[in-house]
Amino acid sequence: MEHNEIYTMMMDALDGELSTTGHVELKSHLRACPPCAREWQALLAIDVLFRQTPALGPAVDFTQRTLARLPNRRYRLWVISAIYILLLLSGALPLLLVAWAISRFGPMVTEPAAIPELVASIDRTLQIMSTVLRALLSGIGEILIQQPAVLGWLLVMAGVVFLWSGIYQQLVSQPRRVQ
Amino acid sequence: MNEEQVWLEQARQGDKAAFGKIIEAYQTPVYNLAYRMLNNAGEAEEAAQEAFIRAYTRLDSYDPAHKFSTWLLSITSNYCIDQIRKRRALLLSIDEPLAPHPALMSDRSKGPEAQLMANEQQELVQSLLAELAPDYRQAVVLRYWYEMSYEEIAEVMDTTVSAIKSRLFRARRQLADVGMAMDLSPALEEVTV
Repeated sequence: MEHNEIYTMMMDALDGELSTTGHVELKSHLRACPPCAREWQALLAIDVLFRQTPALGPAVDFTQRTLARLPNRRYRLWVISAIYILLLLSGALPLLLVAWAISRFGPMVTEPAAIPELVASIDRTLQIMSTVLRALLSGIGEILIQQPAVLGWLLVMAGVVFLWSGIYQQLVSQPRRVQ
Repeated sequence: MNEEQVWLEQARQGDKAAFGKIIEAYQTPVYNLAYRMLNNAGEAEEAAQEAFIRAYTRLDSYDPAHKFSTWLLSITSNYCIDQIRKRRALLLSIDEPLAPHPALMSDRSKGPEAQLMANEQQELVQSLLAELAPDYRQAVVLRYWYEMSYEEIAEVMDTTVSAIKSRLFRARRQLADVGMAMDLSPALEEVTV
């Protein structure tokens, strides 16, 4: 008989799932095979040891200390409900605004004379936005050209923030000891 | 509706006292699993508390069609596995000398000799469990201390029954190797097949 088959029989015997015939076969093999008999002895010793070792419980005031750490579920329900309502409103408000805009400006847009005016107004708005953006970018560029140390200082600050966030993460991930 | 279901329903409504009854009922199984997995009393207590807090905050996701204990132990074991991974990342090992469980330090209900033997037994168990990979250890603990079937262990560990059978098979053989090296032998009456 293959040793792997014997190991499977040993496991079944430990789980109380080995048939009577299986028991006889296993017993006769163990008599003839000292290495398997030794392994069986060790398996059985550990099985008995684990089954006889009682479960351990926490300290007596465990329940009170755990209850003290529980979040307020009712408060949490209120907060979640408020967030849901806000989300609902934030979704509904733009829809209402669009509906209002269509009802207000719809008839004007459908008039042929209103379309060139609308295009011109959009064009003007885009021009203003691009001018402002260009002014901002050129301002930042000039500052960096005149004061290159500013860029270095910004890089140093980013590095310090990155370093401290790493240290904080390490501290937070350390297991806290129970008093 | 049984008592446990009533407590769970009350806890779902935000009744902390009702959840306190749940903690009272399950503190030993939850703590024992955490202790067997983490091998440290302080970390086990922290893990057990965290498991109950997570269960409380996620009560809405609990399906009453399944056993509450299975769901709770599943939360506990997942948390413990995460802690073991974090510990590995911090280059700490379970083999390091850690603070023993308070129950191993003193128990006035037992005599000194019985207490010493009980302590040695618990230490031997923990040293054997420490030889196993976390997922093997988890399967062994659930099998021996919770007498779970392969199907229940598979549910807790979110895997297949064949995977659990394979893990237990390998874990037991690994333990047997350690047992042979330690020259462990069962009581004479247990030797018979």
